[in-house]
Amino acid sequence: MNGLFQKGEGLQTLVGPPLLLLHKDSCPLGKLEGKKLHEICSSSVTHYKQYPPNTSKVYSYFECREKKTEPTKLRKVKYDKTVFYGLQYILHRYLKGQVVTREKIQEAKEVYREHFQDDVFNEKGWNYILEKYNGHLPIEIKAVPEGSVIPRGNVLFTVVSTDPECYWLTNWVETILVQIWYPITVATNSREQKKILAKYLMETSGSLEGLEYKLHDFGYRGVSSQETAGIGASAHLVNFKGTDTVAGICVIKKYYGTKDPVPGFSVPAAEHSTITAWGKDHEKDAFEHIIKQFPSVPVSIVSDSYDIYNACEKIWGEDLRGLIEMRSADAPLVVRPDSGNPLDTVLKVLEILGKKFPLVENSKGYKVLPPYIRVIQGDGVDINTLQEIVEGMKEHRWSIENIAFGSGGALLQKLTRDLLNCSFKCSYVVTNGLGVNVFKDPVADPNKRSKKGRLSLHRTPSGDFVTLEEGKGDLEEYGEDLLHTVFRNGKIVKTYTFDEVRDNAKLKESELEDLLL
Amino acid sequence: MSPPTFASPNVGQRLFHTCSLTPPISTPLFLILDDATYPCAPSHTQYTEVIAFHYVLSWHTRKVLKRRLSRLVSRGSERIHTGAKRHCFAFTLSSMMAAQDFNFLLATDSYKITHYKQYPPNISKVYSYFECRHKKGGQYNEVVFFGLQYLLKKYLAGRVVTEEKIQEAKVFYQMHFKQSVFDEEGWRKVLEKYDGRLPIRIKAVPEGKIIPRGNVLFTVENTDPDFFWLTNYIETMLLQMWYPITVATISREFKKILAKHLKATSGSLEGLDLKLHDFGYRGVSSQESAALGGAAHLVNFCSTDTVAGLLMAQRYYACPMAGFSIPAAEHSTIISWGKSREKDAFECLLDQFPSGPVAVVSDSYDIFKACKHIWGDKLKERVMERSEDSALIIRPDSGDPAETLIEVIKILEECFGCSQNSVGYKVLPSYLRIIQGDGIDLNSINEILEKLSDEGWSAENVFFGCGSALLQKINRDTLNCAFKCSYVETNGKGMDVYKQPVTDPSKGSKRGRLCLRRNSDGFIETVERGAGKPHEDMLVTVFENGTILQEYTLDEIRKAAQLWEEDVSPSEHNKEDDTSLEIHQKHIINGVH
Repeated sequence: MNGLFQKGEGLQTLVGPPLLLLHKDSCPLGKLEGKKLHEICSSSVTHYKQYPPNTSKVYSYFECREKKTEPTKLRKVKYDKTVFYGLQYILHRYLKGQVVTREKIQEAKEVYREHFQDDVFNEKGWNYILEKYNGHLPIEIKAVPEGSVIPRGNVLFTVVSTDPECYWLTNWVETILVQIWYPITVATNSREQKKILAKYLMETSGSLEGLEYKLHDFGYRGVSSQETAGIGASAHLVNFKGTDTVAGICVIKKYYGTKDPVPGFSVPAAEHSTITAWGKDHEKDAFEHIIKQFPSVPVSIVSDSYDIYNACEKIWGEDLRGLIEMRSADAPLVVRPDSGNPLDTVLKVLEILGKKFPLVENSKGYKVLPPYIRVIQGDGVDINTLQEIVEGMKEHRWSIENIAFGSGGALLQKLTRDLLNCSFKCSYVVTNGLGVNVFKDPVADPNKRSKKGRLSLHRTPSGDFVTLEEGKGDLEEYGEDLLHTVFRNGKIVKTYTFDEVRDNAKLKESELEDLLL
Repeated sequence: MSPPTFASPNVGQRLFHTCSLTPPISTPLFLILDDATYPCAPSHTQYTEVIAFHYVLSWHTRKVLKRRLSRLVSRGSERIHTGAKRHCFAFTLSSMMAAQDFNFLLATDSYKITHYKQYPPNISKVYSYFECRHKKGGQYNEVVFFGLQYLLKKYLAGRVVTEEKIQEAKVFYQMHFKQSVFDEEGWRKVLEKYDGRLPIRIKAVPEGKIIPRGNVLFTVENTDPDFFWLTNYIETMLLQMWYPITVATISREFKKILAKHLKATSGSLEGLDLKLHDFGYRGVSSQESAALGGAAHLVNFCSTDTVAGLLMAQRYYACPMAGFSIPAAEHSTIISWGKSREKDAFECLLDQFPSGPVAVVSDSYDIFKACKHIWGDKLKERVMERSEDSALIIRPDSGDPAETLIEVIKILEECFGCSQNSVGYKVLPSYLRIIQGDGIDLNSINEILEKLSDEGWSAENVFFGCGSALLQKINRDTLNCAFKCSYVETNGKGMDVYKQPVTDPSKGSKRGRLCLRRNSDGFIETVERGAGKPHEDMLVTVFENGTILQEYTLDEIRKAAQLWEEDVSPSEHNKEDDTSLEIHQKHIINGVH
């Protein structure tokens, strides 16, 4: 109903960075028109007054800090490396093109006057950008290629003002840019799960067939907004191809592009309502009806509405056994438990199905259900339980071929900026024409120390990544800088397709070898 | 000029009166006021008149509005009325409510696309409900209901289905499932029969209400037997309600803790609304989440840096300015002066913001030295020149929050002295305060406040900032939010349905049609199996057949979500049973304003 104002025609919009990120279309899948001004923390509004006099340049960078003192030694996954992903979305959606207009400046001025109860807004600075750059942002962003897998503690991108009058702009865009912690963290956590699955799949089946469909995204309902769903689900698709979070595909198609028509796939599946709507005494009828509706494609059926074990033993194992045996490897029945302790439930379901249906042993000596029946565990799956389940299955001689996983909250929501210690810090300023390397180094927490000076990222002859500080990367001997300019003065100058992103992030041979040691 | 109230359904006429605008020929259906939309005459669904009434925003904004409206009008609406005052507009446009870019058909879990084939034959109604399930030993006994109005306005109201969207979805799902499973005909019927509006009814608890866990919060059902599959199609979207509910609930728990300590150590609740500042913008997962979470915090407080939340409150909850902030430094503005010039950076801040309060992050190198040698010595006089209205607010930002804060406050006491308040606690001079914005969550804030009062310090001395614990470190399981089907009609007969997994009894769901009532003992309870009496039902129909029927302003929501006296009395802070909450006629002892 309010469509007029939010769906691309936004009078003002919820978000926008330079002034208030005014007039930003707030619909996550909406049009890219009208941007910025509201997209910034209130306090940044007042920062232009706070830099030293005669500052002409501010240079900041983003990293996933390495934790030198690890308080949570028990954490099983270390996340040594991160997948860089998601900058292109932010640039396209919020920073490129004319993001400052006369109206936006005026509106921002009024909003901030109310908000601070004072005139603190830098109207003059924004008018300068409007007049000199036609509302395009005079900043330069250099970043590692999207999809790159980079060890923690290295610079991932840098931001610098390109006009001496607009030194304050660098950190104005911080709030919006720091939100890249989210796609980076989802992609990184999803990739760590891919490594676990790869290891156990290889060990229990001898191949990596089907790996890309082993972890399905169930997270749409569990995230905090539609926009988050789109960003997070697209980050999972960097590593996998199974998703129910449609919004992620839309983000990829719109902001990255793929050679395939869609980057993610799904299969028909039941939910509790489509089972319980038949009544408690008709669970069998519900099951039968649904598998008959989808005879030639895989179909997943949630079977714990009343009693998962009875459903597996009596309904699937006896009443409907004939129907299931008629299905093919291309159209298996996928049984879905959805409650209880994940490992115990999976093992018990496999055990019951293994008694009712003929098992085979694969080349590695692990048990495999007939190809027309599989299991998907989509409840309580996070990176730790995933590890426990595949480990438990292996111990009980079950091949990982038998199972796929679904993950929702743990994949897309149960993450914070602290998991990978994402931070954006100023490291270099020019004042009175002199460059100064700056850093913070709080006495109370050495982990919060920041890097100094202008930064560059390089590979050493042995293949390791190294961040050079204080402009040392300018020297030829260190080879080329892996940071490429992606944004300059309002224009996106380099883009990546989603296929490139996936290729950069794929599991390397050397990683697989390490995993299988 | 203060906004008119919207108590009566025929609000349109009154607004016309207020702004001396000649009403258009037909009765308007909606009003747009500061981007919030108000229904005028819910029964007149055949009208498509829209009135935009806009007076809070700037002249420039009004110009933009006018231009945009003109553009819309030229795209196919019939008429534009411009009022006597230049900021009043009325116009008609049948398709203007349609989501223009957002495809509602693509905003659900993939598998939902296949569900229309899975329900029993001859099913004609699916009725589902949302609750925050009760968990034994759960941390939060009651929840704040907030955020549905945003979802309805942004994604569900109006003409959300168009032929183009059906075509887009059809192609999309063909590729996504590698087969045809999309119910093209079903959706076309929505388009033909209802002009693309959703034949759905949603009944909900009024926003801002405090409801004990384990009760129904809203119900969803199809209003036309042909569209039984639609109820749960929108589950995915509606279940995202967990987020604003959880933020508002957590933020209110913060408020309870702060109120208790503030009352005990200062004798009043003055300034409570500004005690917890939202620092979460950068730590959330997207701009939209920032807006939604930021607005949910504003249900309980008036203090935020998350500008997106203010705009949401303005746009969707009719609150022109819901929260305030003050100038504040960040590390870059300090360290860009160089390590040896921290004092100059601090001094610059005092110079730049002489009249209002200013917050200065002081831990770039050594928070303790900064307090002792810079604030407490070199700039001491400059600090002492300031007043209560222009206080210097020192911000530590690293280390153990409680220990750092205590040490900082002791250093400041040595340098600036302190006085005793009426209840015997120490207070720094009024020109000097502290804000702790690092490492704050419900546990640490309580610990900090306890340590402060143990050492004789009043909670008046400190403000808190909270980022990810408020807006990000929460998930759907924090309050066990669930959406479940409880009732269906098949072959004309109603049946109560439920799930009850043997593997986890806590996942059991409610049965039948539900009613939320306050029983004769004053407790809020959910009546199942259709046994509730309509006149007792606290659930209000907010949405029907594409139209929003009931709206709430942030002011109303804030009133409904106020703390009760019991929340603040120290003895009852850790309530063992949630019954004390629902006593009738509790005294409201604080307001948001």
